[in-house]
Amino acid sequence: MNVKAISTDVLLGIVPIALLVAVWQGISSFGYAPMTLLPPPGLVFMRLVQQLATDTFQQAIIATLFRLFAGFSIAVILGVGIGLAAAASPAVNAVVRPIVRVLAPLPKVALYPALLLLLGFGHESKIVLVAADALFPILLSTYYGASMVEQKLIWSAMAAGTPRHQILFKVVLPAAVPSILTGCRIGLVISCIVVFLAEMITSTEGLGHLLVTAARTFQAVDMFVPLITISLLGLTLNALLQALRSYLLRGFPEI
Amino acid sequence: MMVGGMLVSRLAPLLACLGLLGIWQVGALTLNTESFPTALEALRAVPAILGDKESLINILASLRRMAIAFSVALVVAIPLGLMMGRNRFVASFFNPLLMITYPVPKAALMPIIMLWLGVGDIAKMLVIFLGVSLPVIYHSFQGAKAVEEKMLWSGAAMGLSAAQRMVWIVLPAALPEILTGCRTGIVLALITMVTSEMIARQSGAGNILFNSLDMGQYDIVYAMIIIIGALGIGLDAAFERLRRRLVRWSEPGFEIPLSFA
Repeated sequence: MNVKAISTDVLLGIVPIALLVAVWQGISSFGYAPMTLLPPPGLVFMRLVQQLATDTFQQAIIATLFRLFAGFSIAVILGVGIGLAAAASPAVNAVVRPIVRVLAPLPKVALYPALLLLLGFGHESKIVLVAADALFPILLSTYYGASMVEQKLIWSAMAAGTPRHQILFKVVLPAAVPSILTGCRIGLVISCIVVFLAEMITSTEGLGHLLVTAARTFQAVDMFVPLITISLLGLTLNALLQALRSYLLRGFPEI
Repeated sequence: MMVGGMLVSRLAPLLACLGLLGIWQVGALTLNTESFPTALEALRAVPAILGDKESLINILASLRRMAIAFSVALVVAIPLGLMMGRNRFVASFFNPLLMITYPVPKAALMPIIMLWLGVGDIAKMLVIFLGVSLPVIYHSFQGAKAVEEKMLWSGAAMGLSAAQRMVWIVLPAALPEILTGCRTGIVLALITMVTSEMIARQSGAGNILFNSLDMGQYDIVYAMIIIIGALGIGLDAAFERLRRRLVRWSEPGFEIPLSFA
């Protein structure tokens, strides 16, 4: 694809977003919706910039990010660990597979009340919920990635004298990295969604809490601000992961 | 030997369920706090909820909302995804919009939508619709993109119009991938259903769950968790059966779709 085609794509992509903002502006400025229901976009973005500078808002973002990263890191460690173990050993696989089949389609949000009762209203219950939700895509993609490693690679490593216990880390893990990163990307988006929801249900801080407080006091402008923030956070984290991916996979053929 | 293996693999999820319930039972007995009833106590509360007329109506109302929103989402999302997969302009038109809306939790839109549409069925169904649409669009898009060009050329050479090619070639070829998206969508619909009812406390399964949490009826909390969990597992299993019938010709790449949310 040449540069010109890419720039047309970008322009085309901006159109619906611009349209959306225009319709939003139109609805509010022609008075179809009162200010209290749909504040004009300019006001919302002004408010966002203004809020970003305040201390309370920054603390809310930090609280949300802390929970997100803690939960996501636990999910990555457990997911990659269990996934590799299941791919390497048939015994582990026989135990893990049915458990995953049962737990993966379970709506984890329904577990949140139980987590609240067991772990309290603080960070722990949210972190565990995020970890539980992000775990399965990472685990599954690690497992599929690791079990599809070419046998020839393993044979060559063995022929070159790699000890058996090192093959897992020197051959299988690197070969599964593209698949693992795909799983991480899905897990990251899910973490964003779940941390926000958990904070909306019960919390004393964080972006989700800000949204609920705004909703209870009918501050429509303040309701849009956390939503836009979480969208921006999701996009930024996704871009960072993408950068990490292209750094880690610099030797791989384009996938 | 083969039959035994089949039997074990059929029973394995059941055994896993029993094992998890066993761990729960032991954990509850060792912790021994009031807020964590044993698995047996929670299971005993399940028939009481399902027998109660009002709760049953509530749960069925939730399922009805979910079914309607899910069907509408399929009708909109599959054609859109297929078009995106076959036409580069449509794809680059919608892709960025989908990208910025993806990390937004759809249930978090609930308070805003409630301001506009009230706390009734429409607001909840709209939220579920939004939640289901994205994975279905994404998977239909991927499926349609991977259709072999040669088949489309043959179709065109035999005189199929563009619309006919879409229905007779692209749709069946992308069906396995579309169904993967639908399977993710079903679980997402359930999640969004519970959260939307929890935010707009008016009726439904999520309402029972969180109301009993607030009132400290812990056995009902855990019984509702079991019911919602069983719904998730049951719907997923039923859908998997349907998928196997519809696309028996296609080996599933993955036993469980990756994009689980």
